[in-house]
Amino acid sequence: MAAGARTVSSTQGGARPRREREQELLVWPDLVFVEFIAAVVFTLAFIILSTILDAPLLNEANLDITPNPSKAAWYLASFQELLLHMHPALGGVIAPTFAIIILFMIPYIDRSNAGQGVWFGTPNAVKIALFSAAFASVFTVGLILYDAGRHVNVVTNVAQRVDKDWEWPGALAPFQNMRAIQTGWEWGVPVPKSAQLGPGEHDGVLNWPEDFSHVPMPFNGTSGPDWMRWDKPDSLPGWVQSLYWYDLNMNTPAFIVELFIPMAIMIGLPALLIFILRRLGWVETIRDGSIAIFTGMLVVYFILTIIASGFRGAGQDLVLPWDVPHID
Amino acid sequence: MAVSEQPRGPKLASWLYGKLFHNYIWRSIFRSGYPSTPRNQMLVVATNVFLHLHPTRIHKTHVRITHTYCLGGITFFFFLGLTVTGVMLMFYYVPSPERAFSDVAALETNIRFGMLMRNLHRWMAHGMVISVFLHMMRVFYTGSYKAPREFNWLVGVILLTLTLALSFTGYLLPWDQLSIWAVTVGMNMAGSVPLMGEQSRFILLGGFEVGDAALIRFYTLHVIGLPLLAAIFMAVHFWRIRRDGGLARPL
Ligand code: HEM
Repeated sequence: MAAGARTVSSTQGGARPRREREQELLVWPDLVFVEFIAAVVFTLAFIILSTILDAPLLNEANLDITPNPSKAAWYLASFQELLLHMHPALGGVIAPTFAIIILFMIPYIDRSNAGQGVWFGTPNAVKIALFSAAFASVFTVGLILYDAGRHVNVVTNVAQRVDKDWEWPGALAPFQNMRAIQTGWEWGVPVPKSAQLGPGEHDGVLNWPEDFSHVPMPFNGTSGPDWMRWDKPDSLPGWVQSLYWYDLNMNTPAFIVELFIPMAIMIGLPALLIFILRRLGWVETIRDGSIAIFTGMLVVYFILTIIASGFRGAGQDLVLPWDVPHID
Repeated sequence: MAVSEQPRGPKLASWLYGKLFHNYIWRSIFRSGYPSTPRNQMLVVATNVFLHLHPTRIHKTHVRITHTYCLGGITFFFFLGLTVTGVMLMFYYVPSPERAFSDVAALETNIRFGMLMRNLHRWMAHGMVISVFLHMMRVFYTGSYKAPREFNWLVGVILLTLTLALSFTGYLLPWDQLSIWAVTVGMNMAGSVPLMGEQSRFILLGGFEVGDAALIRFYTLHVIGLPLLAAIFMAVHFWRIRRDGGLARPL
């Protein structure tokens, strides 16, 4: 008896109301019974599943034969999908790290007691969750289709019914997909030779993308007037050198495509979601806001997982599930 | 709440009861009698190390399936099941590139119930990843991370990453085309970490590509390092549930 009484008193944090005995049940049998039944049901279900369905075992590992496509395990596939659309460091490391940090922060940002201990405890919680899920699905699927250039195919197909020779207009070249900003788009503006900055050939035209792909960063040791340059610090150990790139140049088109746009989207869309929900008057507390963000993140993860594991074929092309090659 | 030792019933039952649950040996193991009375039911929970994870009483709403869907418990169940089947697989598995694949293949052909063990281990691993996600969702949507449970949510997120890491390290062990390339893909992600990407990839793999050093690292992490960590954090997780006054409910 003593042990039972002690736990009851020591869990009273002051803030908690006195325990109402008649609201309580004994753990044995009421909880232990449920747990026991659940354990039996799951044991049986998994034994049956395991007799029917064999775990896959392909050919022995061989680093000389690359399966196409080679895929990560399904719970990491969503990040592999991100890699197709942005810089690997951003998609494979920074985004997942931030996702974990955001999870960590939830209880420290949402400190209200609103809706504690009940499913969807605030008045608009369900509406917010549904809206955020729809918002996240539409934009995730939309962006993936855009990056695969599917809108180009659709528009071209329709337009060619009217005019057989129709082609995607050059003025819209950067809008074929994200990468087209870097690779599918060319222009030049005449620039007087007198505007020459630094050494090098100057052909009188400022061209996209060539002239933007090697922009020296300030203080990088190789740019600017002579007095701003310095020698490669070879005497320092390698890891110190790697802290600051001696010859750092920015590939502006690649920067825009691989880092700037993806980051703007990953920060901008959640912000837009919160903005809309506040305009609608649904988000009243921080709890409501965190429901929106959490739901959005979850749904994005979910959709990316489905697309990466079910809709990516050879060469990570976007294909229908039955066209994904079988690997053995 | 009546506190009585003897259940009511016919003579034979009480005689049996006396013989079975009032003898010296039973008492030496369980201290209390058979849990058929409220007093013994509380004592059995309070004095048994395994059941002691629970409080002796809980609030009505928390036994309702629809409150938790048992998801945390199911995750824990998977963890236990994975430990049992994993130990059995360890009897037959040698983590070297020469033997790993054939050892796993032999489970199907040479070892009675070998395939059952492997299948159970594989499907429960998937089950655990799914149930830990669902558990996190239920905790979130019931707002159960709020004070005083913030820290337990943190412990939970750590358990989530440990679960994924366990699953990831296990993926390499069959040493087939699926494993080695999935891990290569994953490791290339690690290799793109700014500043120290190459180094962290090298440390995780013990080399430049997925080879024998990587296999032994993943194996060691998978069978002892990560499970030990996970068990420690689970102990903290369960302890905190009780210290925080049981499951969350409306104030
Ligand atoms: C290996 C993984 C995990 C195991 C075995 C586990 C186990 C459990 C169990 C058995 C409970 C009791 C209630 C229930 O069944 O729902 C619980 C509660 C809880 N879990 Fe987990 N959990 C895990 C991961 C997580 C994760 C990923 C989170 C959140 C990110 C989390 C946060 C919590 C919180 C805050 C509670 C208290 C809920 C309440 O007071 O209603 N846990 N956990």
